[in-house]
Amino acid sequence: MTKQKAMLIDIKRCIGCLSCETACKQLHGFGTDPEPTLSDTAFTVVETRGGTFVRKVCMHCNDPACASACPVGAIGKTAMGPVVYNADKCIGCRYCMLACPYQVPRYQWTKLAPFVKKCDMCADRIEAGKSTACAEACPVEATIFGDRDSLIAEAWSRIRGDSSYVPRIYGLEELGGGSVLFVSDVPFEKLGFKPAPTGNQPMPTLTASALGDSPKVVIMGGTILSALYWVTQRRHEVALAEAEEKATINRSKGKRS
Amino acid sequence: MIARIKSEITLWRVIVAIIFVTGLYATYIRFFEGFRASTNLSDQMPWGLWVGLGTLCGIGLSAAGFGISAAVYLLGMERYRPILRASILISFLGYLTVMVGYLYEIGLPWRFWHPIVMWNHRSMLFDVCICIMTYTTVLTFEFAPAVIEKLPWKAFRETVLRYHHKILIGVVLAGVLLSSMHQSYLGGLFLIARGKIHPLWYSQYMHALFYLSAIPAGLALTVMAIYLSMRSLNVRVDFSILSDCGRMIQMLLIVYAFFKFLDLVSNQALGYAFQRTSEAGYFWLEVLLFLAIPIFLLSYDFVRSNPERLYWTSAIVVAGFMVDRLNVSINSLQTAMGTHYVPKWTELASSVLVIAAGVIAFRYAVIYLDILPKMTVKPATRWISNAGVPAQA
Repeated sequence: MTKQKAMLIDIKRCIGCLSCETACKQLHGFGTDPEPTLSDTAFTVVETRGGTFVRKVCMHCNDPACASACPVGAIGKTAMGPVVYNADKCIGCRYCMLACPYQVPRYQWTKLAPFVKKCDMCADRIEAGKSTACAEACPVEATIFGDRDSLIAEAWSRIRGDSSYVPRIYGLEELGGGSVLFVSDVPFEKLGFKPAPTGNQPMPTLTASALGDSPKVVIMGGTILSALYWVTQRRHEVALAEAEEKATINRSKGKRS
Repeated sequence: MIARIKSEITLWRVIVAIIFVTGLYATYIRFFEGFRASTNLSDQMPWGLWVGLGTLCGIGLSAAGFGISAAVYLLGMERYRPILRASILISFLGYLTVMVGYLYEIGLPWRFWHPIVMWNHRSMLFDVCICIMTYTTVLTFEFAPAVIEKLPWKAFRETVLRYHHKILIGVVLAGVLLSSMHQSYLGGLFLIARGKIHPLWYSQYMHALFYLSAIPAGLALTVMAIYLSMRSLNVRVDFSILSDCGRMIQMLLIVYAFFKFLDLVSNQALGYAFQRTSEAGYFWLEVLLFLAIPIFLLSYDFVRSNPERLYWTSAIVVAGFMVDRLNVSINSLQTAMGTHYVPKWTELASSVLVIAAGVIAFRYAVIYLDILPKMTVKPATRWISNAGVPAQA
């Protein structure tokens, strides 16, 4: 079995040099001008939150909301960890954008044949045994790439070795965890990391419970409606028979008199 | 000659012409210049008016078809048979407008067929797509007799209608179940946006609330459509049927209001209604139009038994329903997404075009097919109740 890969982003070490942004843009052939937020030509950006540099990138959830939402199954998580997008299936409904709790997927609004754009964790590169472009470009090991298990161990050792770190790995368990992990010396809440809407439960559970009820509802509803229809029909038949009976009695009465 | 042309130009024809010209121009911009030119959608507001008005309102307001057909075919409420065909026609056309709207909404409209062959059973939207496609087929089947019976080939007509009749009940039953599923799934679409939807609307039972609110709204639209048909076309329905619909709408609205209130209380979201936020304002607008005013008005007999008053009350219900759906799909998201979305004129114009096409199709169907009982004798007064006209279905 392939080991799941991951990226560890160390907010304390980040110096805001934008090497990751530039490397990503170069890899995808976009212009190298830095952008303020994620866009269809910026799959990762370094934002400044109160003097702290915070990288924004797809979290590559273990049970991604976007993948569960996509009506045609164009998004999926590979065994190695990346959440990848299949442009050949996409119909452009943009439900993934509504579903993503981190607001990561972006759309090519200006194109006549627009597609969804987001980080794919360099799926092709890591399949070939290479590292992600952003991790390779980082000069201070603020973003590193490797096996998820060993990165978790590395994160804990960084936290244990330096008391200024917040004792928490963001992305380890939030919404079921993912392949992008954050450690930080500033509390995550202060850096714009919103509280996970479903805690440590993956987002798709929200839909699954409603969808899971539907077979029961359909079977029950179908049975009740059929029963009601049967009652209606039976009543109708009885009413008809009674009317006929009455008519016969009336007719025979008429003969007698 | 000029006088004749002049007499042909009426206010409504001018309005229709404007709707078609602007709508077609907006359509051109949508398909030949793209989303940026034709919408104010953004990465923060990926769904806008087309989904909110076109799909959510379109499907919701088409709920009467399954409601009335369940009442007549399955529950034996023969009383509503005269309005059965009209309600099925409204649903049928409503779903057609949604299908056309779907082509505007998705970025790659030539791939509209992908959900049929590429399945993702975990996706709420996939289930919505499949249900809507299947149910539109059911509606086509339910509506087909109105067209088939007008065909000139007698033997063909009779054979088809005989077989049609044999499987009708099964199809109606399937239709009721399919409708119940996707009416609620439309609300279920927003379940996954927890944390983005404002607490006044987010609930783990959003799908159930969508289902409960769609039926009275669909009935209200049916009342409106039949009123307008009776006013402008040569058809007549016993008005007391519509009166009873009014009573039913009120009852269903009370049920919905009860569960909505219960839901707000159990989610501890009631407090948000009393904050000074725009969401609270939208919420009260919805409560006022969709619940408070109609429930109050419909409790009076002089509203229910007067066609004009019933019509305007139904219009308020429909408007309130639209506010509700737009609240869920647009207004509830703006704060969390950090954006302010106002639809572009092109979004509105294209939506209105599709709706107008549906209305015009309804009008001509009522004129040329047997949708509503045709008036045989012109009554002395307009609103005479003539239960004597045989119901057709």
